[in-house]
Amino acid sequence: MKEGFRQAMAWLHTWAGLIFGWLLFAIFLTGTLAYFKDEITHWMQPEVQAHPLDDGRSLAVAQNYLQQQAPTAARWFITLPTQRDPGLSVMWQDKVEPGKRGTFIQKVLDPVSGQPVQARDSKGGEFFYRFHFQLQMPYPWGRWLSTIAAMVMFVALITGIITHKKIFKDFFTFRPRKGQRSWLDGHNAVGVLVLPFHLMITYSSLVIFMSMVMPAPIMASYGDDSRAFFKELFPNTDNAPALGQSGQLLPLLPMYQQAREQWAGGHVGRVAVNNPGDVNASVNVFRASSDSVVHDFGSTVSFNGTTGELLRVSGEPSLPSVIGGSFYGLHMGHFAGPVLRWLYFICGLAGTAMIGTGLVIWLGKRQLKHAKSAAMPFELRLVEVLNIASMAGLMIAIAAFFWANRLLPVSFAARSDWEVQAFFVAWGLSLLHAMLRRGRRGWVEQLSIGALLFVAIPLLNAMTTPQHLGVSLMNGDWAMAGFDLTCLASGVFLAWAAWKMQRRTASQPKAERARGLTLKQEAG
Amino acid sequence: MLLALLMCYAGFTALCLSTDRHHGELLHRKPTSKRRVGLRLAGWLLLTVSIWPAVRASGWSQGLVEWCAVLMLSALLLVLLLPYRPRLALSLAGLSLLASPVAAFALS
Repeated sequence: MKEGFRQAMAWLHTWAGLIFGWLLFAIFLTGTLAYFKDEITHWMQPEVQAHPLDDGRSLAVAQNYLQQQAPTAARWFITLPTQRDPGLSVMWQDKVEPGKRGTFIQKVLDPVSGQPVQARDSKGGEFFYRFHFQLQMPYPWGRWLSTIAAMVMFVALITGIITHKKIFKDFFTFRPRKGQRSWLDGHNAVGVLVLPFHLMITYSSLVIFMSMVMPAPIMASYGDDSRAFFKELFPNTDNAPALGQSGQLLPLLPMYQQAREQWAGGHVGRVAVNNPGDVNASVNVFRASSDSVVHDFGSTVSFNGTTGELLRVSGEPSLPSVIGGSFYGLHMGHFAGPVLRWLYFICGLAGTAMIGTGLVIWLGKRQLKHAKSAAMPFELRLVEVLNIASMAGLMIAIAAFFWANRLLPVSFAARSDWEVQAFFVAWGLSLLHAMLRRGRRGWVEQLSIGALLFVAIPLLNAMTTPQHLGVSLMNGDWAMAGFDLTCLASGVFLAWAAWKMQRRTASQPKAERARGLTLKQEAG
Repeated sequence: MLLALLMCYAGFTALCLSTDRHHGELLHRKPTSKRRVGLRLAGWLLLTVSIWPAVRASGWSQGLVEWCAVLMLSALLLVLLLPYRPRLALSLAGLSLLASPVAAFALS
């Protein structure tokens, strides 16, 4: 009975893992990259220079610029530069008749000179972030598909734990250079050792899309009016309407300082000014999401813009909102400093590796049975092609995205869309290549191309921008330097993987295959 | 975060040594049952106590997150080192035990 149950769970783990494995691999890898979303954007828009942070100067510069460019706008938004994202971003919304939404105009300013930066048009790290839950599909299909993938991931994790016979006995076990056995050991090691992260990230992704996945509780409490639910969750800042008399907006810095005092020294993320040219102007200061683990959906201090009077401080969030916010915050990791952010990144890579090794094991186990026959059955060949394209091919696609960023001319029309095109074209080509080449040869070639592309990225950066590694390291621009170095490391890793593959193709001893077979049966 | 990392790594190494198989591989003999229990106790103790420096340095919410991260990463590091550089893995554990008081001193 017990064995029957375990076998059923193993079956579920195998097939759920296979069908969604390729998609989950892409979701995990791009999601892992999204932890460095701002740093990637910084690399992809090298025109935005990094300066030492000074919020007072940034606020003054932004206010001055907006006062000149958009004195009659309905709303201003100022996003302050951070260590990770050096640009001072200002946005304003044109004034229109009530009931219509004015267009938004966004500029990135240099926080020292106050001049708008002519940054190249690029989606930057936002592309990976969006892709990892929207999958480049029209709303809401991508979100649905990724949420279903998250559910399958959760099922695969639970069934994986049940299937794994000796979690504690094999806790510290990893036996390399033993073929299939090593793959299974590796799969178990990254799975078990990083399990808290896997469970957290998968469960929290379901919490984030909870209103989509499980609308029943919301409908039960709020009826069909789901807007009421969101209104309660994200309380609106009720600001006074414009009076129509012109007024003088006070400097923003004192309000910024008062807000920080309210938060015991917490940081400011964004400042919004409503009706800046009106006597009834109001200023909302929003807290930075990097301040706490629990994601707060609206910690705000509001001021009257012309008198400077403090109007309102948002209250403490309710308990359910804290619980939801902590899952949200843990998933996003906005609060993580550089060290913890790297640990998040490594955990994400471990998750990606777990999915990848799982896919390799599925195929390896079945290939053994056909080791003697010349041709592989169609379904195994299909899995092999998809394995190559979804893993090695995705790496090539990511590199192609970065290459396109540096090679496409800055003045190119719809430039950022072409970068994304380059990503998908490269991915498509890798799929084609995997179909044409036989097995391991396909792996070796794609891994080598990926290695070349990644290793060359620091060189490419040095040739196309003035911010090569020497300069960025000297200036302490760690986002820029870290990007180059990480690409270099990824290239070296891919080269090592290609070399390993190549060596195993050259000499695959019969004995090892036979041993792998018996071990496999024992591992079940 | 450093002290928590040192303690977690040493703790996991102790737990690893408390198993017959790994003790045999690393030290080439079987542990006595007394030693096994001692190592297991020391391992669990180190892992549990390592919460304290993490929480002390960065508060409960951030500290617990950091502790979890360090816990996972130290185990991963140990398991990846064991088959390739077993002696290094052991000496790192010894080193982290030695460095822990220094790190604790710096923290307080």
